Amino acid sequence: MEEQLSLIDLVLHASFTVQLVMALLLLASMLSWYMIVQRIIYFRNSHDDMINFEEQFWSGIDLSQLYREGNERAAEGQTIVGMESIFRAGFKEFSRLAQQPGMDSEAVIEGSRRTMRVAMLREEERLERHLPFLASVGSTSPYIGLFGTVWGIMHSFRGLANATQATLATVAPGISEALVATAMGLFAAIPAVMAYNRFAARVDMFTNRYDTFVDEFSSILYRQAYALRSREKKAG
Amino acid sequence: MSASIYARPVLPRIIVRPLLATLALHGLVVYLLTANWSSFEEKTITPQVIPKAIDARLVDVSEILPEPEPVKKPAPQPKPKPKPQPKPQPAAPKPKPKPEPKPVPEPAAPKPKPEPKPDPEPSREELLREQREQMAESLAREEAARAAATADEMAASYAALIQRTVTGYWSRPPSARNGMEVLLQLQLIPTGEIVDVRVLKSSGDTAFDRSAMNAVERAGRFPELKNLPPRKFEETFRRFRLLFRPEDLRY
Repeated sequence: MEEQLSLIDLVLHASFTVQLVMALLLLASMLSWYMIVQRIIYFRNSHDDMINFEEQFWSGIDLSQLYREGNERAAEGQTIVGMESIFRAGFKEFSRLAQQPGMDSEAVIEGSRRTMRVAMLREEERLERHLPFLASVGSTSPYIGLFGTVWGIMHSFRGLANATQATLATVAPGISEALVATAMGLFAAIPAVMAYNRFAARVDMFTNRYDTFVDEFSSILYRQAYALRSREKKAG
Repeated sequence: MSASIYARPVLPRIIVRPLLATLALHGLVVYLLTANWSSFEEKTITPQVIPKAIDARLVDVSEILPEPEPVKKPAPQPKPKPKPQPKPQPAAPKPKPKPEPKPVPEPAAPKPKPEPKPDPEPSREELLREQREQMAESLAREEAARAAATADEMAASYAALIQRTVTGYWSRPPSARNGMEVLLQLQLIPTGEIVDVRVLKSSGDTAFDRSAMNAVERAGRFPELKNLPPRKFEETFRRFRLLFRPEDLRY
């Protein structure tokens, strides 16, 4: 009591339950920050990739050549994610179906659209990874912190029951150390909630862009499929 | 079929940078919190205790307060001012010739001329009022300056007082040597009582440290600190350091 209370002392002298709560919150905070930074990097990379790919795609390059370039990069061990993986899924399916004789152009387009949708879901899954964790840290860690605080205060008041002369100095350190738990809960929760909201908006943006791309790309494929079939009819 | 999509469901591995960033951030937060926690102990100064053979008496607050009063001297200054002003009065009758206002370039000069003639009394009242205003103004200025000055002076004199009191109670152990020093940290409450004494930097000799602690504990409280304005108290005496260093020893 006489000595100056330092934060470290507060944490070290807390009761076991409160310490457990603090450890839990620290872990939650570390994990959520890890995920926040990881998501930031991932989103930035995918955004850059998307911009690059769109530029390439609309530059008038031959689509099969674009696909082959992707193949080369995949062979080098690079993982292809984002818009390009949607493109590759759609294009592969299209060329595969188009080679089969007797395939209706509608069916070809339908098939490649379906594959693209699957690829898009896959991408969404990648984008949304870790977001549920951030959401639950954001919503539960204040409560966990509050639990630690209530527990700590309960304890320090119970210690007061035995004291004949109760002064503020006998309860104050207990309450102070209990309040650290709430502070930690808030410290973990606030960035998690903010990051979750931001990332959810980012994911929406990405999905919209991918959706648009799928539509645009299938209209291109439509044109190609009809051109192909009409050529076949003329030839046949 | 669509194996190519599912063949590599792996995420691009982004691990190291987030990990580093996380650790750095938490380390920084912990550091800032712990550093800030203790930093407000450090802003206080050290009144040096130089033990002397002769013990001086405590300084009374009344001795400090009157000091600025002699500074009041500026107050009499306004008195000489009325002298120059009455002068225009005798001067006024001289330029009585009214046709001559034009040659006088100052328009302000002719105006006072007619006024003093009908009734010189209001002018004196005005002068008095002016004088009083000036007095009040200078007094207020002085007051402010004195308040600022006295707070510092008082703090300094109290520091000296604490130093002297503690020195008075200090009996050094025989193991004390020149060049030994122990730094204590004292914590006071506004009533002047010492709540906490801690050794910040030990001299290495426990008996010596103990003697310094004893001196502070025997001094117990400095009730004079009650007279200090609260803000000054918080600034200077809430927590401060005392350095004990015998310099008058022969060995």
